Amino acid sequence: MYLTKEEERIYDGECGWTNQVCMKILVRLGELFGAEKLIPISSAHVSGVSYKTLGDAPIEFLKALADADGKVKVRTTLNPQSLDPEHLSKRLTVNIREKQLDILRQFDRMGVAPSLTCTPYYLRKPVRGSHHAWAESSAVVYANSVLETWTNREGGPSALAAAIIGKAPDYGMHKAENREPNIIVNAEARLRNETDFGALGALLGKTLQDKIPVITGLGTASETNLKQLGAALASTGMTNMFLHKPAQNVRKLEKTTVEDRDIKETIEELSTSSATKPDLVFVGCPHCSKGEIQQIAGLIDGKKVKAGTEFWVCTSCHVKQKTAREVEKIEKSGGHVLSGVCTVVSWTEMLGIKTIMTNSAKTAHYAPTLNKAATILAPLEKCLETAFEG
Amino acid sequence: MRSNTLKGRVIVEGHCKGEALVSKQPLSFLGGVDPADGKIIEKNHDLCGQCVKDKILCFPHGHGSTVGSYVLYSLGKKNLAPKAILNETADPVVVVGAIIANIPMLDKVEIKQIRTGDTVDVDACTGTAQISRRKES
Repeated sequence: MYLTKEEERIYDGECGWTNQVCMKILVRLGELFGAEKLIPISSAHVSGVSYKTLGDAPIEFLKALADADGKVKVRTTLNPQSLDPEHLSKRLTVNIREKQLDILRQFDRMGVAPSLTCTPYYLRKPVRGSHHAWAESSAVVYANSVLETWTNREGGPSALAAAIIGKAPDYGMHKAENREPNIIVNAEARLRNETDFGALGALLGKTLQDKIPVITGLGTASETNLKQLGAALASTGMTNMFLHKPAQNVRKLEKTTVEDRDIKETIEELSTSSATKPDLVFVGCPHCSKGEIQQIAGLIDGKKVKAGTEFWVCTSCHVKQKTAREVEKIEKSGGHVLSGVCTVVSWTEMLGIKTIMTNSAKTAHYAPTLNKAATILAPLEKCLETAFEG
Repeated sequence: MRSNTLKGRVIVEGHCKGEALVSKQPLSFLGGVDPADGKIIEKNHDLCGQCVKDKILCFPHGHGSTVGSYVLYSLGKKNLAPKAILNETADPVVVVGAIIANIPMLDKVEIKQIRTGDTVDVDACTGTAQISRRKES
């Protein structure tokens, strides 16, 4: 790999241990994937924030980076944590709260503010064609496919290394030739709502491996539906991008078709419970946009959450602040708007939650293993009918 | 005593000698190795119950969450890390883990040639692993 003189000095340790170890990560990964150089990035998005998934091991490493004057060089956002200060925090132990806080403190020391969201693109929309180093697979697929910004699927440590150096190795999705579709998916199924879009993603992830599909038949799908498609696609497979508009020169590509019954079967597979009264009804994976919060507040319209059921809406602190009126409505109904937290990486088992109903195919995919919960996958309207009286 | 030298690609430089612990299966460090004692806890893994401490750890490749890289760092801090890692195919989780924990590492190594209990002399500067076996079994 070609390194500039300055990059070489960093690699040799002349700019301190943190910069050296981060440069080594980028160079070795670059060599592994055939990069010839590093390229500047406009932002980084770092995963690996929840104390529940991280455990104690990473805190030491984050602390070592911060102790050796690690500072990020580009705008850096953070994935959600395992609790929110308003609702879940008081139901958990002091040890969990302190350890989670310690993780955020180390990021803060490195110049990373607690944005705590899996949808950083709602905080600031990245410029089309710009290069980034994002972890969080759902955001990576959304960036490449909907925002048309360019990023590989980084891991937590490599995204942090890229943030500290301000560069990423030039391979994979950073190269135009790797962003061409190599399979046509004819979506003949009727995609009625966000759950059907998510199911399409979950199904394609399992079958496409890392191929880039051009999907026909999506019509003018909303960005919310494409977000659900991409999040599920990333959770069951290695695909980093899909095309949702007609593409040129694809006539010779391999073709596959998705029909109504494929979607129906996928939703059935992702629903492991037949319970009519789930412990938790959850919306907001990936985190809700302003529009989604407004939609939920509108639909619940004065109704009350049923006794014995919890209703959670997850979003970023940023979106929560911008939708204060709607948030108040949801809270008055007995629901909770949790900010900065992700249900899948939160302590649901400790809260006694054994069944989760959600409109997110990604959550339905992960909850049986990560939350040890049975799942019911259904669209928003159905989720609200189940959570609310009347 | 028979000896055999395998070649590989250097991922993390270093030089060390130790006893091989060999798996035919991919290994996930997050959830697969206990950071408290270095024991492999991945269910149904052929090395389940074995400790990675001071071993020349040989497995085809890593899998699972990128948080696994931090587990290798934590093992290193507690002196529970393997002495070296030999892989068939390096993957980002193990590569990053070996870099931050400073564990010598080679990939593109034909690990089928190595058996648990062999003494392996890893030269992760030139990219060779010399295997010594006390007797044929």
